[in-house]
Amino acid sequence: MSPAVFQTALYASLSLCVLGLVWRVSAWFRVRIGPDARAVTPSRRVAAAFRGAASALFSRSLFRVLDAFFLDVLLVRRLYTNEKLRWFGHLLILVGFMLLLLMHALAPVVTAKLFQGYQATLDPYLFLRNVFGVMVLFGVALLLFGRRLRQTCLPQTRLAQTRRPIDAAFVALLAIVLVAGFLLEAQKIASPRAFYRMAEQFIGSTGAEKLKPLRAVWASEFGVAFGDLVQPIDPGLVEEGRKLHGDACAFCHTKPASAFVSFSIARLLAPVADLLDRGRADTWLLYLHVFACFLGLASLPFTRFFHAVANPVSLLVNAVAPKREFSLAGRASRRALALDACVRCGICDTHCSVAPLARYLGNPGLLPSHKLVATGALASGRLLRSGQENAALRAAEGAFLCTDCGRCTSDCPVGLDLEDLWEAGRGDLGAVSLPAPAQWVQARPALAWAEALEPGAAPHTFSDADASFAPLSADRRSFSRCVQCQTCTNVCPVVAHSNDTEHGIDLTPQKVMNLLRLGLRDLTLGSRMVWDCATCYQCQENCPEGIRVADIMCELRALAVRRLGSVRVRREQS
Amino acid sequence: MKYALFLGCKIASQLPAYAASTRAVLGHLGVTLVDLEFNCCGYPARDVSRDAFVVAAARNLALAERAGLDVLTPCACCFGTLRHAIRFIDEDAELRTRVTQALAAEGLAWSGKTEVGQLLQVLARVIGIDALAAAVNAPRTGLRVAAQYGCHSLRPSNVARFDNPMAPTVFETLIGATGATAVDWPRRLDCCGDPLHEANTPLSESMTRAKIADALESGAEVLCTACPHCQLRFDAVQAGTSAPVIRTLIYTQLLGQALGLPAKSLGL
Repeated sequence: MSPAVFQTALYASLSLCVLGLVWRVSAWFRVRIGPDARAVTPSRRVAAAFRGAASALFSRSLFRVLDAFFLDVLLVRRLYTNEKLRWFGHLLILVGFMLLLLMHALAPVVTAKLFQGYQATLDPYLFLRNVFGVMVLFGVALLLFGRRLRQTCLPQTRLAQTRRPIDAAFVALLAIVLVAGFLLEAQKIASPRAFYRMAEQFIGSTGAEKLKPLRAVWASEFGVAFGDLVQPIDPGLVEEGRKLHGDACAFCHTKPASAFVSFSIARLLAPVADLLDRGRADTWLLYLHVFACFLGLASLPFTRFFHAVANPVSLLVNAVAPKREFSLAGRASRRALALDACVRCGICDTHCSVAPLARYLGNPGLLPSHKLVATGALASGRLLRSGQENAALRAAEGAFLCTDCGRCTSDCPVGLDLEDLWEAGRGDLGAVSLPAPAQWVQARPALAWAEALEPGAAPHTFSDADASFAPLSADRRSFSRCVQCQTCTNVCPVVAHSNDTEHGIDLTPQKVMNLLRLGLRDLTLGSRMVWDCATCYQCQENCPEGIRVADIMCELRALAVRRLGSVRVRREQS
Repeated sequence: MKYALFLGCKIASQLPAYAASTRAVLGHLGVTLVDLEFNCCGYPARDVSRDAFVVAAARNLALAERAGLDVLTPCACCFGTLRHAIRFIDEDAELRTRVTQALAAEGLAWSGKTEVGQLLQVLARVIGIDALAAAVNAPRTGLRVAAQYGCHSLRPSNVARFDNPMAPTVFETLIGATGATAVDWPRRLDCCGDPLHEANTPLSESMTRAKIADALESGAEVLCTACPHCQLRFDAVQAGTSAPVIRTLIYTQLLGQALGLPAKSLGL
């Protein structure tokens, strides 16, 4: 590969990477999540970040930061406490990749400067390169295997995780880099062409007679696959070749058997070594290896593997101060940072309290990993584009069914303050007319809702489609015994505390029962009585006819969410 | 004696003192508590889909059954939801089929064996008032305490099967066992207002304040709760008010004090 091509590609990919990083990092100060975040300008957020960093570096919290750097960032402590297998895989990749980067990719500026006489073809570098490569490949395999295992063993995670093609492509690139690297090394070991090229350069001869003893050494001990060599090799010839080898080759070459992977591949490639030489396999494998690296470098900031940058930052920021101690400017930036630091590992999803609800309702929008993506999409406005109405409603359902149990936050291997993010996200949803059901239903009077339901909707029949969904309210036997005695109303604390018209209820429980008896269920769906019912069960306990008043109220709310929800989308679309 | 401890979302995240004092007190009394990875009891889904709420509740019961344990919950609302789910499954064969299918999808099953006990019930009926009284070594003599039952422990009584819904005595008896005096207060069975605090804040606060005023008027020094929702609601409303406030205590904290347990272990 000509240096010009290499350098051009290197600098092009490096500048793309840097530009991408700048863009992504700037988002930590630009993206606004949560109504309170709108009050802080990006410049104030940048200033707060610098102040925080400075105060952390010049105070005792520096020790906490150092502790976090070694244990959380380098050794991935939080993942260790959660999932040992995944921790091991991740550590293999992290260590293997970093060492490959330093020892191999940056050899001219790192290894060669630190260790005199560095040659890529000498031990221990030959051996270590293979070890590191195997570590990365094994780590990737472990993570993929672990993911498959979780999907089959834990149906809790069976709801699709959010994945993007670009992330899968990045993993493929990483695999290409490693496999091409091993193949390239193997091809070079087995290549007679490389042997002759080196012989000409360092011995100055390609004469068959002169090189015969050296060929014997390199064929028997260095794995070169000469197609024209007479087998078995004469041990005397090998002995003879050792001197020349010692004079001309041994400075830069140790036996490649220590490159245990590449050497094994070289053995396999031996029968086709000549063919590969003729096809210039060394050239295109090198291009493949190097350009896959460059492509990976350039695309890194745009994939989820940007977490390699965002994660350490997030972990170090956590170390500076406990979660809730941040200023508003600090919290606003941490929320935006959380969007990038999330690795979509799905550990939160497996422990999520409402995961069974997500599965039963068929709405993955309830799961933390999806909520995080939706929160980002809402902040960037993507969730509000036309065509996204259903996605937005599902995200809202997810946001408001969250029980704030905090397991996602405590189990997050990156230590993200997800609870703060969910709270901010709910605020943002409220600001774009997607508040909790109690809010959007009560924003309009019951009568308006009833009129907005299907035009000409007849009073519900007693065998309606909602029977399986709201069985009590659809079955006349459950309320027909009501004698309108008003006991329910008299014991209802909500009725008792409805002292003003603004916050008081419109119907009483007994009137709700009466509307059901009259077949006017739609009139109750948006009523304040139904939505302000505290489910204290006084009505049900005290009803002389044993009517399950509070249970029916719950059903009517569920029915309202479904029926009024569809009217709401239609209205907003028109 | 061994139970699967069902803390629910609220205690785990917002009221660690209730979890700590429950563990401390029950541990002291020789009850083993096992932590299973339960999910949400299902309560928040009642307003979205009855089926989903019942499936979520049944999954918890199935987890306990798989571990061969009965459930003990310190949360009145989780208790009510789990008991409701059992009732809905019992009375609706089609629902039972849907629930069975949903559980089978992840290799779980619930045959109906799991019992769900509310903390006060277990203390009063399983461990027993006499055993409690015998274990008390630092009686809270003279302390006047108002018992806040929590709606979902009591009602509907045919679902909860907790105590007489009109004139319950369990909580007062338990308070008596600590050496304290249970005061009679007219609003003791009323709702604390918590379910409405987001949907209708003024109405919710009106309900909470009425209870606090009533407890004070009845001469109580302490408002004693057995549900995280009640406890957190009282504390939240009292936090930002100039009106007279009453000290709140979770029952396990009161009992823990009477048992002579260190304040720190009770989250005090």
